[in-house]
Amino acid sequence: MSETAPRPRRTALPYLLVLPAVLALGFALGYPLVRQVLLSFQDYGLAQQFGRPPEWIGLDNYRELVTDEYLWRVTLRSLVFCLVNAVATLVLGVGLALLMRHMSKPVRIAVQSALLLAWAMPVVASLTVWQWLFDTQYGIVNWSLTRIGMDYEGHSWLLQPLSFFFVATVIVVWMSVPFVAFTVYAALTQVPEDLVEAAEIDGAGPVERLRHIVLPSIRDVLLVVALLQVIWDLRVFTQIYVLQQAGGSTHDTNLLGTYIYRLGIGGGKFGMASAVAIFMLVLTVILTGPYVRAMLKKEED
Amino acid sequence: MPRPVRRSLKVTANLAGVVAFLLCAFPVYWMVNSSFLPRNRIRNPDPTWLPLGGTLDNYRTVFEGDQFLNALKISLMVTVLTIVVALAFAFVAAVAVSRFRFRGMKSFVVALLVIQMIPVEGLFISQYKMLEGVNLLNTVVGLSIVYVAAVLPFTVWTLRGFVSGVPYELEEAAMMDGCSRVQAFFRVTFPLLAPGLVATGVFGFIQAWNEFTLALVVMTREDRRTLPLWLSTFTDVNRGTDWGGIMAGSTLIAIPVVVFFLVVQGRMVAGLTTGAVKG
Amino acid sequence: MRIKKTLAGAALAGLALTALAACGSDSSDGEGSSGDSAPQAADIRVWLNGTDTPDEARQWLKKAFEEQNPGSTLTIEEQEWDGLVEKLTTALSSESETPDVVEIGNTQAPTFTSAGAFSDLTEQLDSLGGDDLLQGFVDGATVDGNTYAVPYYAGSKYIFYRTDLFEKAGITDVPTTMDEFVDDAIKLKDANPDPANFSGFWFPGQDWRNGAAFIWDAGGDLATDDGGEWSGALEDDASIAGLETAQKLFEQASGAAKDGNEADPWTPFCAGETGMMSTPGWVMGLLNDPKTGCPDLAKKVGVFALPGSDGQPAPVLLGGSDIAIAAKSQNQELAQKAVALMLSDDYQTILAKNGLTPAKSSLASLLGDDMFAQATIAAASNAKLTPAAPGWANVEGSRVLEDLFSKIAQGGDVTELAAAADEQMNSQLNG
Repeated sequence: MSETAPRPRRTALPYLLVLPAVLALGFALGYPLVRQVLLSFQDYGLAQQFGRPPEWIGLDNYRELVTDEYLWRVTLRSLVFCLVNAVATLVLGVGLALLMRHMSKPVRIAVQSALLLAWAMPVVASLTVWQWLFDTQYGIVNWSLTRIGMDYEGHSWLLQPLSFFFVATVIVVWMSVPFVAFTVYAALTQVPEDLVEAAEIDGAGPVERLRHIVLPSIRDVLLVVALLQVIWDLRVFTQIYVLQQAGGSTHDTNLLGTYIYRLGIGGGKFGMASAVAIFMLVLTVILTGPYVRAMLKKEED
Repeated sequence: MPRPVRRSLKVTANLAGVVAFLLCAFPVYWMVNSSFLPRNRIRNPDPTWLPLGGTLDNYRTVFEGDQFLNALKISLMVTVLTIVVALAFAFVAAVAVSRFRFRGMKSFVVALLVIQMIPVEGLFISQYKMLEGVNLLNTVVGLSIVYVAAVLPFTVWTLRGFVSGVPYELEEAAMMDGCSRVQAFFRVTFPLLAPGLVATGVFGFIQAWNEFTLALVVMTREDRRTLPLWLSTFTDVNRGTDWGGIMAGSTLIAIPVVVFFLVVQGRMVAGLTTGAVKG
Repeated sequence: MRIKKTLAGAALAGLALTALAACGSDSSDGEGSSGDSAPQAADIRVWLNGTDTPDEARQWLKKAFEEQNPGSTLTIEEQEWDGLVEKLTTALSSESETPDVVEIGNTQAPTFTSAGAFSDLTEQLDSLGGDDLLQGFVDGATVDGNTYAVPYYAGSKYIFYRTDLFEKAGITDVPTTMDEFVDDAIKLKDANPDPANFSGFWFPGQDWRNGAAFIWDAGGDLATDDGGEWSGALEDDASIAGLETAQKLFEQASGAAKDGNEADPWTPFCAGETGMMSTPGWVMGLLNDPKTGCPDLAKKVGVFALPGSDGQPAPVLLGGSDIAIAAKSQNQELAQKAVALMLSDDYQTILAKNGLTPAKSSLASLLGDDMFAQATIAAASNAKLTPAAPGWANVEGSRVLEDLFSKIAQGGDVTELAAAADEQMNSQLNG
């Protein structure tokens, strides 16, 4: 994998190969992105959406944003939530993928099917079911805990922010592990079996084989998956949004995703919402920048 | 390695597998279970663990009229179009960025990543305006275009990981045996990419199959509803949400994904791997 | 994805503007429409939400419109309440895709009317019903003297109670004042210690829409307009008194989740955990259906409108729908005709027969005179709208009131919480 690009020869071929993707992205996202950036410098609300000319206000949206202490609290909350969720998801997902190689075939197929079902379950259904499970009055989590003698009757899982985020983490991880496990398992099937066997014959234990053969072979996929997981967990929206409807305090549980939504669609302040979106983008770039640079550099060596 | 180690590894793995299976499957089971219950037994102080004496009423409701089949048709068209286009575009782009070195490559790769980072909550309004400008609202093609854009960056990056996971030496060896570069790639590398194509294909499938917000604003006509939009018709603040209908509908929506996977997994992986052995 | 709870609790309904004139003239309309001044034939797209509008009304509308306007057609496109704001935000801004006529929740309407999404209907107002139209709806859709939407139908919540539990607790008559109501709710709770989550009055913590009635009844308000500058009014003494009543109910009468929402009130009711609850009238249909509810308990249901401190019906939150014409519609004239038909007596009669409070006061008697109709009419008689502040959507969007009531339900200090909520609202109310 290290020797990726053998051919410094000048050729038009790679440009032709990336052209379709560039065109598709440019067409579908070019204008929306430019508009998003422009909006962030405007006083753009619902009235502007219906034709009133927007007013240019320069950096006012950003100024209002960064001077609001609440944004920083939400940002910090989002970062911690993202970190916890990404780590939990990756550990469980990668662990499961590694173990899947050693499972008996029927168990493995059962696990794969369950992962797939969890992944494919429409979000409306999965979030509803999770809400039901943790429901204060009729949730079977409380029901079961009460049955085994604990005092959980009428316990509200969403009332305290920490408990709220615990439930949110369970749901987010449950929804993301299938993707990680699947992708990593697919990458593992690429690892040449003879290489592993050779190492085994050389006397390498399971841990050594994992460290020196298996993980390096899937490194590129692992890095991508980890990066994507961080990005996605930073923008998590639906799960938080739905849980906020179900209980807890919205003000104390907003993350960046729900905050943008509540500013934009919720409050009709699209200019402001765009500014938060750009802010989030910059934040993500800053956070992941070193990682990406290291990742690309390593490939060059 | 000593046999006992291997055996204990297997036992551990299987145990973990059973636990993972239960954790993953339980909410899914609860959905299926609820889909067989009458509405007043779905949420109840005493949970119903098995749909004994259940009812098919929810499924009857779901199949009433041609709405489900119509939404199924629209969703299939959108999803198939999305993954075929996205996989094709992403595949060639991934080959370019992992098997070639060219000016602008890094910018391209990084740009993809940045696109992936843009929060979408506000973007859908601008995408609506874009589709309006090219007269593609309420069309399968229009919705597919925004879906392709949504899954493309991810797909390129992941496939890129898979392509560079195949040592270039393998291709070189094939070229020494007299294969052309293109032949070498398709004989040696391509078959090894099958799992990656399946994984990204499943990802794209599920994204397009379950997406809600873009579909909501793009497909406003009744006969253009995708499955998630159709599902939302069971929620009605003024009449009480039909949870049984939602669960039955969701069960029906989840099934094609699993079928898709099993077919692809069985066919494609087997087919391609055989090719690899021959090559 | 958003599940239905997004809008739960907002008893939404639609409204129609119709013109009696259009009805009266439909027999002679044929020749008129063939003249030069007739609008160009077109397909009029009408967005109706959910299944509130009965089929009979839909068919009548289509037929009447197409007879009245030969060559033109009318298509009803059913939309969902869920995600409606997203859809209207995009579709109403598009000349090619905009529907011509839309139904919108009466509490959602002000956001769109002040943004210029709808056509001005001020001139048609008289022919559509004038003073006969439900005034609260018209006021809510009026900006600077111009009216942009008209009522379609209304429906406010009223109290459902268990007659057998009243008897058991020794309550002989339904409460006629707010104090009696609160006392009865507590009495019911005390008389039913088991199960622990029994509610004398079922009042989940997030339910500010029912909670607003207590503020208004005490003479307070959510926000007030002081010469064009809006500010939160929750820390006013009267509002605090109302919030304290709410807290008393939360703490002493309700067994509902302290941070729960008001969706699916029939679940605790059918589990025998509810003595009284405040819900829309259509819930009765669910209770009576053996598949969705509990017909046995439903037989023991009585209803009354929440009484105010003065013995009159308390001011409860007005629920219902407006109807409006998209400003970008290319068929303004035909759209007006469609709206006129939807406010016609014939059409509104169909709605009334299906239990929806008609958009015109003069038709209210069509609801019938059983206890449900009486409670409906009484509840609507004193109902109020949310403040018409330009930034009210921000308040609802950031869920200030859900948070406030939920914290009050948990026993928080009412004065402090109200002050904090006011502060947050002050930065949002003026847009």
